[in-house]
Amino acid sequence: MMLLRLLTLPYVRKHLLRTGLTIAGVALGVLVFVGMRTANDSVLYGFQQTVDRIAGKAQLQITSGEGGFPEEVLERVQAMEEINIAVPVIEAQVKTGLQGQGNILILAVDMTGDRSLRSYDIEEGEDAVVDDPLVFLAQPDSIILTREFAQQNNLSVGSKVSFDTMVGPKSFTVRGIMKPGGLASAFGGNLAVMDIYAAQHVFGRGRSFDRIDLTLKEGIALDQGRQAIEKLLGAGYQVEAPSQRGKQFETISKLFAVAASLNSLFALLIGLFIIYNTFSIAVAQRRSEIGIARALGATRAQIRNLFLLESALLGLTGSLTGIAGGLIMAKGMASYIGQFLGDLYGVAQHTEGLALNPQTLLLAVGVGVLTSMVAAWIPARDAARIDPVKALHKGSYESITASENRWRLVTATAFVGIAAFCLVTGGTSGPKLYVGYFSVVAASVLATPILVRALILGLRPLLRLVLPVEGALAADSLMQSPRRTSATVAAVMLSLSLVVGLGGIADASYASILDWVESVVNPDLFVGTNEQISERSFRFPASLGDEIRKLDLVDEVQTVRSTRVNYRGTPVMLVAIPMLQVQGRIKPKVVAGPANVFEAAAKEGGVVLGDNLALLQNLNVGDMMEISSPSGVLRLPITGIAIDYTDQLGAILIDRSLYLKHWKDETANLFRVYLKKGVTPEAGKQQILMRFGSQNRLFVMTNRQLRDYIVKVTDQWFGLTYMQIFVAVLVATLGIVNSLTVSITDRRRELGVLQAVGGLRRQVRQAIWMEAAGIGLVSVILGLALGGLILYYYLGIIREDMAGIRLEYVYPVKIALLLAPTMLAVSWLSALGPGESAVRASLVEALEYE
Amino acid sequence: MIELHDVSKTFEGKRQVLALDHVSLQIAKGEMVSLVGPSGSGKSTLLNLIGGLDHPSSGEIVIDGERLSAVSDDELTRVRRDKIGFIFQFFNLLPTLSCLENVSLPLHLRGWKKQKAHERARELLDLVKLGKRVEHLPEELSGGERQRVAIARALSIYPPILLADEPTGNLDSHTGEDILKLIRDLHERLNATILMVTHDNGVAESCQRTIRLRDGVIVEDIRR
Repeated sequence: MMLLRLLTLPYVRKHLLRTGLTIAGVALGVLVFVGMRTANDSVLYGFQQTVDRIAGKAQLQITSGEGGFPEEVLERVQAMEEINIAVPVIEAQVKTGLQGQGNILILAVDMTGDRSLRSYDIEEGEDAVVDDPLVFLAQPDSIILTREFAQQNNLSVGSKVSFDTMVGPKSFTVRGIMKPGGLASAFGGNLAVMDIYAAQHVFGRGRSFDRIDLTLKEGIALDQGRQAIEKLLGAGYQVEAPSQRGKQFETISKLFAVAASLNSLFALLIGLFIIYNTFSIAVAQRRSEIGIARALGATRAQIRNLFLLESALLGLTGSLTGIAGGLIMAKGMASYIGQFLGDLYGVAQHTEGLALNPQTLLLAVGVGVLTSMVAAWIPARDAARIDPVKALHKGSYESITASENRWRLVTATAFVGIAAFCLVTGGTSGPKLYVGYFSVVAASVLATPILVRALILGLRPLLRLVLPVEGALAADSLMQSPRRTSATVAAVMLSLSLVVGLGGIADASYASILDWVESVVNPDLFVGTNEQISERSFRFPASLGDEIRKLDLVDEVQTVRSTRVNYRGTPVMLVAIPMLQVQGRIKPKVVAGPANVFEAAAKEGGVVLGDNLALLQNLNVGDMMEISSPSGVLRLPITGIAIDYTDQLGAILIDRSLYLKHWKDETANLFRVYLKKGVTPEAGKQQILMRFGSQNRLFVMTNRQLRDYIVKVTDQWFGLTYMQIFVAVLVATLGIVNSLTVSITDRRRELGVLQAVGGLRRQVRQAIWMEAAGIGLVSVILGLALGGLILYYYLGIIREDMAGIRLEYVYPVKIALLLAPTMLAVSWLSALGPGESAVRASLVEALEYE
Repeated sequence: MIELHDVSKTFEGKRQVLALDHVSLQIAKGEMVSLVGPSGSGKSTLLNLIGGLDHPSSGEIVIDGERLSAVSDDELTRVRRDKIGFIFQFFNLLPTLSCLENVSLPLHLRGWKKQKAHERARELLDLVKLGKRVEHLPEELSGGERQRVAIARALSIYPPILLADEPTGNLDSHTGEDILKLIRDLHERLNATILMVTHDNGVAESCQRTIRLRDGVIVEDIRR
């Protein structure tokens, strides 16, 4: 502690900017880590809160995917001896149409039995109405609102409020207002309760329910009850405690969470280089102090621990700063992510405030401190090895010895060998893919000093050509400090490679999605229940398709019903389409199976799998697939595999007839409409809206609009990528500023000499700019090269373990072309501050500086 | 050549330090002057002010007819690079540049072509007897050789004024004598005005004129 006070504190006080930059290196990584995790946790928490509050006393909930199940299932469950209460539920998320209110969750229940499960704490109004459920039932336009929602919209008992329903905008009468808390606080208070039989009609559920909520008789254990119900209903039904539903949502949003976590870890990895750089320099600069301390009796362990303690303290400060920043970021992002996940996966959720997870915060502190200590380990070890006699001599000590260079070269070559071995021995999947990836990154980092030296030697003539003196000085300065230069270049290189990798994924994804859209999305119009195709709260009666088909401008209508089903624990998308009809209109991109993949599936009663699902679940043509349906578990042969981007978690395409037979659900989510030749999409759209718009809730999108919508959703997804790119560029900037600040402090005397012998401020400034340009240029060259390599591995990881999507390798030339000048500009901007501080420093002090 | 009128220099810090107290001085063209005095007497401060490395708190400095207080920072640099050569106690060579590059650096900074600059640098390195070590890096030279490179660098522009801050202070006595001899030779051959800070009485007495400073004030001015 004494050493810390005597040796560290004065140094830190003297180098506040550098200390700040080091802390920023940790803080940035922790900020992204805490921000993304807390935002995700808050979204999950919001969802689980809604589920819990709505569940009331329910111990178990029965569902059959998203599709719902026939009414008679309820009677069978209610008849079980283990069951105390079992009540049906329908949930639908609808737009309120009220300013600033967004969506409202409609909870439709059977009032006759539901009050024994859920507490409707009605605070005012015609109590008699709700006290007597039959009266409530007798008036199907009845609705109960929360006090929060009613107050915000100036509604009271007796007021009329209009919501979108399947039969167009429908006016409801407020019959009661719930007191705040409990059920009334579900979905952020944007909750309305209505009668379930009215809901079946207005949300197009036919004679089915979404869910059964139940309690068991006293003495019946949860597991016992669950098993009894599963035995009765068969494998087509999921029987779970309400707390399990959060897990499902977690599974659905897993891909997003993984991408967010990777982002923050990469930011920390880059931060690690910044810290390593700072500590290497600190050790070099404090060499004489270390020598004196050693001469006065400090042990090697004391010196090493001093630096480790310093790094731990900086890591802790960085972590706490990062946590504060992360929470601010999470606050801003939680509702965005919630909305985005809702749009992307069609899951009703409402984010309410921040969910602070102590585990995340502790982990953040741990990761921040550990990263800092790991980064400082080598400099701390070097400090401990300093010879007291040599340390007291003046001179430059920041060098990489020939033996270290040899060691680096040998190890880097070994890693290249491992990567090459993995590649030629089938390293396109499994552990070899990851070993190859880490080997390439490790080889690049290890070889950085050697590559940097070679590149700067190569660039020296170029820099000299631009500005003879300044260029040479800049190149020499970079070579004079190989550790500092290579650590900065490594940090920037990793950042840029991340940008190239992510940019490459984005480019390839857009190209593949647009290609798929081109081949599959060819109807002239799409009639859906919502502006968001993924939203499945509302359903059309199948008869609407027949009605549309009768219009004189319409040539053909294909009825689509999509719903989530559980497959091996993953809620995948089941898409029921009239396969023969579809085959006649589109040319799917078949990966395996016959070219007429839909026709074959229809004839053989099989399924066509999206390529991503087949890859993720390791399924092939000819395999039998077990799918849960309300009629039990179906064993269907896989007759084909085709490229399909309907859902990130994967899609199972089946013929509509099969769906009708086993799911007994005649509703539809979407109609694919082909117009007669010569009819413009606008004319067709107008005709459908004129004919059905007033009676039904429907949205008609033209082909162009749907394509734009798909691009918009893709953009939203890659919004995270752009954030990653922003973080990477920010870290790169931080690295360059740090390096230049240090470089200028190190070379204070040199820069002073330069001015003393006649160098103009402009010339000194330009020398520093050239140095920054040198770092930028070398980093860009190495970053673009490494990015090209890791893109290959990223595509492999996406294909094998994340999304199952086969993306074609195309080097993102546009991004590279954009990145090069951007990074040079960033380098230059980073050099402005340090450059000015260098030329404005006192010459006398600079010449005397040690 | 060098004129100081009532020049004072105060350093601000936790405590205010008066380094030079109303100093007036004139040094004629071609004079070789030694500046002596105990540590903290203001010798180096005076040298830095004359060299335009620092600004006086009050008073006027005129170098070859140019008032330093009236010029901008870049103009001051131009005065420095056209009229003044510096020799430092710790040489202040750039470690990554060869002898030739170090000597030609001031010429490059003036925009000289490489060939012409190198030609001049070689001449000067020959003059300081380092003609065979042009490609060596500073770390490959002895202390005396480094100081000779520094002198060659200071002379590269044939400055009318040469300022030397303890040029032999970091050298052994034998090498110090060599360097001093070299400076005197150069003075005779180039007729430069030389102002040299030294602690060494022998060195001081070998100059035409010795100015003694104490507590920021000139206490003695001996002409020989």
